[in-house]
Order: sequence, then structure tokens, then C-alpha cells
Amino acid sequence: MTASDAARVSLVVFLFVTVQQTLMVEIRVGGAHPDIIWLLPMAAGLVGGPARGATMGFGSGLVADLFLPTPFGLSALVGCLVGFGVGLATVALDRSSWWLPTVSSVVASVASVVLYGLLGYLLGQPQMLHVDLTRIVVVVTAMNVLLAVPATRLVAWALPSASTEGMPTSTAGLLR
Amino acid sequence: MAKARRSRRPRTTLVILVLVSVTIITLDARGGFGRLTSGVKSVASDAFAPVRSAVDGVIEPVGSFLAGSVHYGAVRQQNQKLRDEINRLKLQGAQASQAEAAMKQLSALLHLPWIGSLQSVPSQVVNYNTSNFASTIDINTGRDNGVQLGMPVVAAGGLVGKVVQANHHTSTVRLITDGASTIGAVFGTAPGSFATVTGQGSGRPLVAGLVPAGTTVSPGELFSTSGLNGAVFPAAIPIARVIRARGGVNSAQESIVLQPVVDLSHLRYVAVVQWGPSTP
Repeated sequence: MTASDAARVSLVVFLFVTVQQTLMVEIRVGGAHPDIIWLLPMAAGLVGGPARGATMGFGSGLVADLFLPTPFGLSALVGCLVGFGVGLATVALDRSSWWLPTVSSVVASVASVVLYGLLGYLLGQPQMLHVDLTRIVVVVTAMNVLLAVPATRLVAWALPSASTEGMPTSTAGLLR
Repeated sequence: MAKARRSRRPRTTLVILVLVSVTIITLDARGGFGRLTSGVKSVASDAFAPVRSAVDGVIEPVGSFLAGSVHYGAVRQQNQKLRDEINRLKLQGAQASQAEAAMKQLSALLHLPWIGSLQSVPSQVVNYNTSNFASTIDINTGRDNGVQLGMPVVAAGGLVGKVVQANHHTSTVRLITDGASTIGAVFGTAPGSFATVTGQGSGRPLVAGLVPAGTTVSPGELFSTSGLNGAVFPAAIPIARVIRARGGVNSAQESIVLQPVVDLSHLRYVAVVQWGPSTP
């Protein structure tokens, strides 16, 4: 990754964290708010493959953890698992498909929320399952589906060198 | 060979990142490193505060503009002026009632009989539940204002929670409804009526534990902080009132559900009580 790539990735992560911490936490549906941070590992896994997805998930999760009252490192752990999972699951697919970011965002959002609660519980935070998980899943997924395509394009812009690294040529369609 | 190595690389990356994450989580939960991450969080939060404030400043007018535009579209041309006037008056009315509510909460903070002579730091709530998995609020006062980790936070009526993260200019407060919150409490007039009050998550009632079966508890009865030795809150701060109590047939404990005395979903101003377990 070049310095310019790193700068672009940092900018995108900063943008997502800022929007999450200012705008998204104000949107309440039945007490739950959207969580767009999970779009970053999803999009990175989609455009860059499992390793880049995991790395983006870890990095963005660690930054997000700085502003959360939950255990430090938990978002990073969930992020890297989700990024890796999306990258692995889509490696054999035609990544230029218009529906792929949307479907991936649904799967990634559900997996992220459930994993977050479950891993928090397993890591000694039993109260993390004292929440309405279904409501959180619905709110997080709804917003992430809406933002999946622009988020994927932003991450593709931030990870240009990843787009051609071992990817099928059809991936280019997603990046344009 | 090279292909096999390439295919192993993502898995190696994942294993390393998972191990690093688990190590961070484990170290964070234990002593020294926890203080380090708390310090890093504090620096990040302070650095981010101006960004949050600037973005909030932009978002608020945009939101008002969009709301105004939507409304404008519905207005017919012939009575536009009249409707605008009505809207202006409504807005004034809403602003006045908001200001009145804020004033009520602020003035109520001046009369907190149960904190006695303890000093308090009035604070404004700037954020609710930044995580879907924890019941917390962020307030606009921090270490520079005398707020310390573990200090109790109250509002008009009673207990709100305690400070779990104290930054330079802001703090995070864990609400009593959070699943990780357990408070030693007293209730009724009989001596020795002790209980624990535990949170069940945002928007859910509290539950009381350790109340022996057969204990008479009536709806509306007040549970207050016990202030026993080593307690994390001073004594006699109202916590919650009983909604319903039911004796378990096969249980050794009463099943008691409580409603916090403070409306935690509409907090605007709170006071941080400058008290620690060692404070007399």
C-alpha cells in the first residue's frame, strides 16, 4: 500500500467514523441506531479480497472502538472476521454484479451485529445480550443496504491498488 | 507451491488480526493496559470534540432547512403567508416549551436534597447511547471540570448512573438501565431491607435482587442507594420505584420490577456528584 493509498483509506475511515458519531447516533428507531462502520470491512472484502477485508475491518474497528463504551478491540475483532468472511464468500463471484454490494451489506450487517453481541457475551460482558438484537439488526441492515453501493465505491477509490490484485477482471466494473 | 502460499496468506492475516484483537480486549479488561486504552480514548475523544461540534453545527441547520422545504411543498400559494406565520408561531411555541423544559431541568439541579453538602458539577448531555449494546450518555464536562472516574451522576429526581470514562472536556456515563449496572439499595422502613438493583438494557425496567420471598413490597415503593461500606454511590439517592412485585412460588426471592425515578430517555442536564467511595 502506498502513502497515497494509506491517506485515502484514513480519509474514508475518518469520514465513516465522523458520520457515525454525529449523524447516525442521532437517528433512533425504537431505541436502536444505524451502524455504518460495518460497511467498511464489507466493502473492502468485496473489492480487495479476504486479507484486505480483514485488515480494513481491524483498522476501522479499532478507530470506532475509541468512541464506544463497549470493550476496546471488540469492533476490531468483529470487523476483521466480517471483512475476511465477505472477501472469502465473494471470491468466486462476479464482483461487477449490481446486486452484490447490497446482498453483501445485508449479510455483513446481520453477521456483525450478532457477532458483536455474542462475542461481547463470551468475553465477559453478559449485558451485551440484554438488548433487542432483532431491532438492532433491522435498523443497522436497513441503513447499510441504502449506503452499500456508495460505500463500496468509496472504499474502491481508497483501495485502488487492491482492485487489480488477483481479482477477476470483471471487478473493474464495480470500481468505475 | 507459490499458489498455495498465496492462498494461505489471507488466513494468516486473519489469524494474526484475531489474536491481536483478543489480546487487546483481554489486556484492556485488566489493570495497566486498561488505563492506557482509557488514556488513548480520552485523547481521541478530546481531539474529536471540535469535529463533532462543527458537524453538529452544520447538520442542525440542514435538518431544519430540509424540514422547512418539505413543509413548504405542502403549502398552497394563496395562504402561504398565513401558513408561514402559523409555522413561525408554532416554532416559537416549541422553542419556548423546549427552553422551559431545559430551564426546569437546570433549576431542579439546584435542589438536590439527597446529595447534602456534596459538591456537584452541572453538565449538559451531548450524546445518547453511542453503541447499540450499552446504555450510556456523553456529557460536556470532564477532568478539567473536576469530573473523575466512578463519580455518581444524578438529575432532578434521583440517580442517573456513574462516570465510566472521564476525558479532559467530556465524560461518558453508564446509565442505571445498562445491563452492567448493579447498585446496592435499601427500601421500606424496616431495618435491614437491602437489595440490589440491576439494569436490563436501554428502555427496559430495572429488577431488584436479593429480596427474600415473603417480604412486603408495594407498587410505588422507593428504592434508594444504600451507601454501605465500599458502595459506589453515596447513601439515600432515589433510584427507582416498584412497578410490580410477585412472590415466587418455588423461589427464595421476590420478583420485583422497578421504574427509574428519572426519565432517562429525555435527559438534557445532569449533575456529577464529586464523591468517591473514600469520601466521608
